[in-house]
Amino acid sequence: MSVLKHPILLRLRRLSVGVLLLLVVGQLMRPVEESAWKIVRAGQPELNLGEIEGALGQGLVVGVLGGFRTILADLLWIRMNSIWERRDRIKLDAMIRLIGTLDPRPDFFWINSARMVAYDVPHWRVLEEGGYTVVLGERQQAIGLEQAEQAFAILERARSLHPNNPKLYLETGQIYLNRLNDYENAAIWFLKASELPRAPYYAARVYGELLRRQGKQVEAYRYLQDLYTNLPNDPYAQKNIILGRIRELETTLKIPYLLRYQSAKGYEASKVEAESAQDDLEERSR
Amino acid sequence: MSGIINSVDRVRLIAGNTFLEAVRQKFFNSILLISIALVVSSIFFQQFDFGTGELKFITDFGFGALFFFGSVLSIAATTQLFFSELESRTALTILAKPIYKLEFLVGKFLAAHMLMLCFTLIITLVLSGILFWRENTLMLRLGEEFLDGRLIRYGDVFLFGLLQWMKFGVLAAITLFIASFSNTNLYTIMVSFFVLIICQLQYIALDAYSTIEMGAGRWLVQVLSLIFPNFQLFNVGDQLVFNAESALPLATVMQIVGYGFFYTVVFILLAQLSFRRREI
Repeated sequence: MSVLKHPILLRLRRLSVGVLLLLVVGQLMRPVEESAWKIVRAGQPELNLGEIEGALGQGLVVGVLGGFRTILADLLWIRMNSIWERRDRIKLDAMIRLIGTLDPRPDFFWINSARMVAYDVPHWRVLEEGGYTVVLGERQQAIGLEQAEQAFAILERARSLHPNNPKLYLETGQIYLNRLNDYENAAIWFLKASELPRAPYYAARVYGELLRRQGKQVEAYRYLQDLYTNLPNDPYAQKNIILGRIRELETTLKIPYLLRYQSAKGYEASKVEAESAQDDLEERSR
Repeated sequence: MSGIINSVDRVRLIAGNTFLEAVRQKFFNSILLISIALVVSSIFFQQFDFGTGELKFITDFGFGALFFFGSVLSIAATTQLFFSELESRTALTILAKPIYKLEFLVGKFLAAHMLMLCFTLIITLVLSGILFWRENTLMLRLGEEFLDGRLIRYGDVFLFGLLQWMKFGVLAAITLFIASFSNTNLYTIMVSFFVLIICQLQYIALDAYSTIEMGAGRWLVQVLSLIFPNFQLFNVGDQLVFNAESALPLATVMQIVGYGFFYTVVFILLAQLSFRRREI
């Protein structure tokens, strides 16, 4: 009996009672918590263990805990500059994930992270392996493809958070175009971007050009005609460039003069319209 | 009935005196000043901003200051208010009178909670003032961007303040519970901070383990999530102030307030369970 009244046992008993009480309370409050949590969680940036575990020892607890996430992400971005200068690609990768986790809202982080991964890291890797004269072209391509895929993953994650941001679609298209010289896939992404609200005018124009580069001259010709017809007379739409391409395609496709594209105002008038748009643009830029 | 009234009177007296003592403390005033300075300095920190809107940046910064310094103050002030009575032996005098230990604890808690109310109110007022000033400046400069009226819903700033205050209440009650069996200030503060981190981050562990098959790890995380309240529930800054389309429903706000209130009561009762046997 006296053993049961040992101070350690008494303390353990009190501790067990406390824990048991909290378990019961937790269970009682679970329905309320789950119902509210579902709504609260939907509006919070995703945060998972894998992305923050490497950073918890770096004074980031405060940021991760819920306060100062914006400023912390900004400061980490500045710090990432020195990592980029040191060409430390492992740390760069970790930092990109961490910054995206801390503040996923600005597209600046996603786009520039993707650019670093797609354009800079392949260059570092080739240099690490001996330079452009030593590394075979096939290997260089493989590295480029590997890095581009990582950049696509970054942009894919960004699109899941900002599904209507055309810049993120354009960036994927740019990587296909500039890094991989893959016109077919680039065209797909430029088209997707051009169909989004607030897409820049050039997205559709580049799509037309990519069709042409793929040898789809007829398709490009029809697309550019539609585009020219539907674009507003905004100097930033640069309709003169589109008209120029239409004319080039007419020459390539050997379309007879009488069958050539005319805007609603006629062949000559559309030419004048395009030229005046160009003049406007030049005027504005001055 | 008169017993309850007398008890409320005693609690009010303890809370009132403790609150006066608390607001006179240099620690409270320093934390308050630092927090205000930090909220005001958010205007200058924008130079480090990469793409978030100015008003959003200031709001995030203000909410961050409220959360961080509020948590520090809640833990430190509660610990200080509790141990000051024990260390100066005034607790002996108080508890020698017909005052229950529960009344003593509730009085201490209410004082700390009132202190946090002052802190939260001041910070939210300063933040709202800065936001109002910056929004007016932007409206003058970029009138066409504000055709639909103001961007900021100022009521939400105070709603966030209210939810944070509820969270500080739970934190103060947890601190009081830890203080009820702890012997030193330092131990109470350290353990309370660890509990704060667990409460704030437990949802990440719960998410991580929810995808794996039932095992010891998942079971342990689930038990821990039942023991520690989920503080992330109060972190609704991203859904308030700017997000008019998906504003937080009133029912959810009420659920969060109720959740906070319930846990506060539970931790005060637990503190009482532990404190009633304590030799002073």
